[in-house]
Amino acid sequence: MAQVYFEDIQEGQEIPQLKKNCSTQQLVMWAAGSGDFYQIHYDKDFAQATGLQGLIVHGALKNAFLGQMLHDWAGQKGQVRRFGCSYRGMDEPAQDIVCRGVVTKKYSDGGKHLVELDVWTEKPDGKKTSPGTAVVALPGKE
Amino acid sequence: MTQAKPSVITEEMRAAVGVDGPPAVLEVEKTNCRMFARAVGHTDPIFYDEAAAKARGYRSIVAPPGFMGTPIFRPGGGGAVPGEMGGRGFSVPYKRVLNGGTDYEYFPDPPDGDVICAGDTITARSKIAGFEETEGSLGPMLITKRETSYTNQDGRVVAKMYGTVIQY
Amino acid sequence: MTTDTEFQITDEMKAQIGVESEPWEYEVTTTSVRMYARGIASEDPIHYDVDFAKSQGFRSIVAPLGYVGTPVYLPGKTDPTFGFPRREGGPRLNIPFKGLLDGGTETEYFDVICAGDVLVETSHLADLKLRDRPGGKMLFVTNEAVYTNKATGKVVAKMRLTSIHM
Repeated sequence: MAQVYFEDIQEGQEIPQLKKNCSTQQLVMWAAGSGDFYQIHYDKDFAQATGLQGLIVHGALKNAFLGQMLHDWAGQKGQVRRFGCSYRGMDEPAQDIVCRGVVTKKYSDGGKHLVELDVWTEKPDGKKTSPGTAVVALPGKE
Repeated sequence: MTQAKPSVITEEMRAAVGVDGPPAVLEVEKTNCRMFARAVGHTDPIFYDEAAAKARGYRSIVAPPGFMGTPIFRPGGGGAVPGEMGGRGFSVPYKRVLNGGTDYEYFPDPPDGDVICAGDTITARSKIAGFEETEGSLGPMLITKRETSYTNQDGRVVAKMYGTVIQY
Repeated sequence: MTTDTEFQITDEMKAQIGVESEPWEYEVTTTSVRMYARGIASEDPIHYDVDFAKSQGFRSIVAPLGYVGTPVYLPGKTDPTFGFPRREGGPRLNIPFKGLLDGGTETEYFDVICAGDVLVETSHLADLKLRDRPGGKMLFVTNEAVYTNKATGKVVAKMRLTSIHM
C-alpha cells in the first residue's frame, strides 16, 4: 500500500478493507499467540455446553484484525495511536469477516496530524459485529 | 408493581473501584511477537524480522498492535474461573464471561513513551474503573470496566488498555 | 498417476539422503520455555522461575527435554502448520499420501539448553523406508538435525525425527 498523507485524507472516506476468514487452526494459533485458551474457541462440545451454537472467533482476535487494517493503512510513516472495539455480535470460523473503517474527523494537535475513524468488523450479510473507533497519526507532505 | 432485579454489586466491589491491583510482569520477546503476528496474519516484516525492524529505525522486532507481552506463567497460579473477577476473587452469580470490548491507546513517542519491541519488559497495573448492571438478550448482566497501564523497563508508560468484561 | 499401492521410492528421492540443509535459527526464550513446560503440564520451577534456575547453577530457566527452541517464523519461508523452515538446499520429497503421523523423536543432549540461547540447526534426510499395509503403503521419512549454540559454536543436541506418510 502506498503511504497515505494527512492532506490527502477526507472526512467520510473509507479506508481499504481487510478481509479475513478464520480456520479453526487460526483460532488455535491465536490461543497460542494471545495466551487465551478458553475452550469456546476450539472445543465445540464445550462451546455448546455453555449455550453457544458452536465455536466462535475470539473478540480480541477481531480487535487485532482491526489493528492490522489500521497499521497497514497508516504505512511506515504513520502511527496507530488508539484503536479498539466492542464485541457486540459473534463471528464463526470458516466465515468471512470484513474489517472496515471510515474517517470521521481530521485535525492537527500539538504538532501531530491526527485522523479519527469508526472501525468495525462485518459479517457477509452486512451486520456489524465489532464496532469501534481509532486514532491514527499521519505524516504531512512537507 | 414489578420487583427490581437484585444488584450483584457488593460493597467490597464498590470499594475496589479506582484501586490499582498488584503489578504483573509481561515479557516481549521475538518468539511471542512473531506468534501473535502470525496468528493475526500480519504481513509487515517489522513484526517478524529483526533486520527489517532495525532498518526502519526500531530497536528490535515490533510488538504487533494489541500485543503487550506474555505474562510470566507460574504453575498453580491459576487461570480465570467463571464467576470470579480476573484475580480479584469477587463471586458473582453468573457462570459465563465474555470479553465485552477492548481499546488500546499507545504512547510511542520518546521521551515519555516508546514503541513496544522485543526485549522489553512491561509492568502492567490494572484497576477497576467502574461497574454497570444491565439487561440484555442473554439476561441480566454485570459489566465491569477496567483500565490497565503498561510501563516499560525505562519507566515509560507505553500504552493503556481500557477493557470491558461482561458476566451473565 | 501412481496410486498409493504403486508408490515406490525413486532414485531421485534416495539421492537426497545425507544432503545437508542450509542453517536455520531456533530461539529459546523465557516465554517459549514456559509455554512448552506448561504444554507438558510440568510444575518444575526449573522451567519457569529464572531466579530458582540460577540458584541451581543454570544460566536461566531450562528448556524441558524435547524442546530445542522455536524456529524463527518468517511468513513465506516457514511452513504455516508445522513451523518447519522451508529453506534452500533442504530435501524436496513429493509424497502423494494424505495421512501424516508423527513416528517418533529421539534426542541426544550434549549440554543443557536454557532461555537466552539461540541455536543454529542444520538437518538432512537420513532414511526412507517403505512398508506395506492393508490397502496401501506406509512411507517412513527420517531426518537428523544438529543444534549448535550460536554464541559458543558447540553442538548442544542432535535429534532423529521420523514421520509416517500413509
